[in-house]
Amino acid sequence: MWVNMGPQHPMTHGLWNLRVRIEGEIIKDVDPEMGFLHRGIEKISEDRHYNEIITLMDRTCYVAGLSWEHLFIIAAEEALHIVPPERAEYIRVLSAELQRIGSHLMWYAAFVQDLGLTTPFLYGMRDRDLILDLFQTYTGGRLTYEYMRVGGVRNDLPLGFTARCRQVVDWLMDRFVEYDRLCLSSTIFRERCDGLGLLSAEDAIAYGVTGPMLRSAGSRRDLRKDRPYSVYGQLQFDVATANTADVTGRYLVRMEEMRQAVKIIRQCLDWLDDNPGPVMASQLPRWLGAPYAPVGNEAYLLKRNYPTGLGFSMVEEPHGEAGAYIVNDGGEHPYRVKFRSPVLINIWAAKRYLPGYRVADIPPIMGSVDVCVGECDR
Amino acid sequence: MKRDELAASLTARFGDRILGVDAFPGLLGRVRFDSTIALELFRAFRDDLKFVHLTMVGATDWVDHREVFYVLWSDADLVYVLLSTNLPPDAPTIASAVPIWPSANAHEREAWDLVGVRFEGHPDLRRIFMPEGYAYHPLLRSFKIHEPEDLEVKVRSD
Repeated sequence: MWVNMGPQHPMTHGLWNLRVRIEGEIIKDVDPEMGFLHRGIEKISEDRHYNEIITLMDRTCYVAGLSWEHLFIIAAEEALHIVPPERAEYIRVLSAELQRIGSHLMWYAAFVQDLGLTTPFLYGMRDRDLILDLFQTYTGGRLTYEYMRVGGVRNDLPLGFTARCRQVVDWLMDRFVEYDRLCLSSTIFRERCDGLGLLSAEDAIAYGVTGPMLRSAGSRRDLRKDRPYSVYGQLQFDVATANTADVTGRYLVRMEEMRQAVKIIRQCLDWLDDNPGPVMASQLPRWLGAPYAPVGNEAYLLKRNYPTGLGFSMVEEPHGEAGAYIVNDGGEHPYRVKFRSPVLINIWAAKRYLPGYRVADIPPIMGSVDVCVGECDR
Repeated sequence: MKRDELAASLTARFGDRILGVDAFPGLLGRVRFDSTIALELFRAFRDDLKFVHLTMVGATDWVDHREVFYVLWSDADLVYVLLSTNLPPDAPTIASAVPIWPSANAHEREAWDLVGVRFEGHPDLRRIFMPEGYAYHPLLRSFKIHEPEDLEVKVRSD
């Protein structure tokens, strides 16, 4: 019998439909249905200036907007042959790592609530607000930031930001201990998560699963280490892994990733304190728009005279490996933009890791995937 | 591995059906191949060159052809490589990569849904984002965003 879990179901954390074929309580087959949130972001991008696409990136993944901006910016700068100043790169990495903590806290809150624990949900949401407050001080936004630009970032960090940011991450490091105490010592949590949703590293690779799900199976694959982009090559951190390949393993990986993100953030803050400088490249084509100058009609009408190029970037986004492929045919809009969504593939691989479990196991297993439907459907 | 080594080994094996190995920023290179050798080439990349990860499958609609591209990752060499082939726009068909990389399943459904490339031998080539029965492939250049369209949705019964 086929059963629909979704599109409106507490397990889905968004708008998608998990069709499940069951025999009794046992799952025999699954068929994830996506597309309920498809907004055609790749198509709209073909009609927009490069800097206008950044707005769409915040909407692509609404819990990791800055990570997606970072992804797009790297590919766009490659396609347009622009090199950003180093200070902008550090601010981007700082933003991406703060965003990683924010996204993982959101995941923690939602996932633990799926298991029936309410206190950790409130803790997670409260502590995520501290990250959003930080974003608000320098981007002006709490959910959609529109902060990064082709060639740099929109504005520098405000006075006193680094001190405040240090306070917040120090506080968070204490909170992580509390989270672990709440969950790992809870019988409810352990009995529902241990040994559930097993996915070996070989299967994960064959099915294209990336991110914390792959690292929880013992793989050390992390693009920040394997193919350092931006300034990750100059920062010290460890790859978080677990070897249980189950739901608890994914929890442990994400918790450790947040601690490593704090480590990266502290190094970025130290660097930013010592190295003032510009945050925007000085030589930008006129049609791209200066950081504050409004793009008027005359800029649209200007005949561009700019080289063509191809851009490709992959970043380790909180949910997994996200990719962007941009074809610049010399126009002011990209000819083609293609994004790789890690969530789409991680959900689709449910065909491999769900069969054999019981219907009641679906919420914890799918919760451990960290679903963000916005980036899955685009 | 270097790009010229890759080009030499591929040309030795596939001859003139490898149309070129170009430079590509941030990647090992872009391999342009004839779509008739798709499956053998994929198998060579996975088994002999150890590109075990299939990262991306996508397609681009050009004026006179449709380009399909595959991005692969090698754990041994820590590099990406991009494979690209051109298909005729009136019958864009290529062999499915699902027998080589199971993860191609979702990627190819997306390429079929949005750009209208057919993948021969795909076990389940349904639309993934747009509803079944939708008449268009939205990422074709001929599809204009602002034109009204009649949306016809079929309800599946099974």
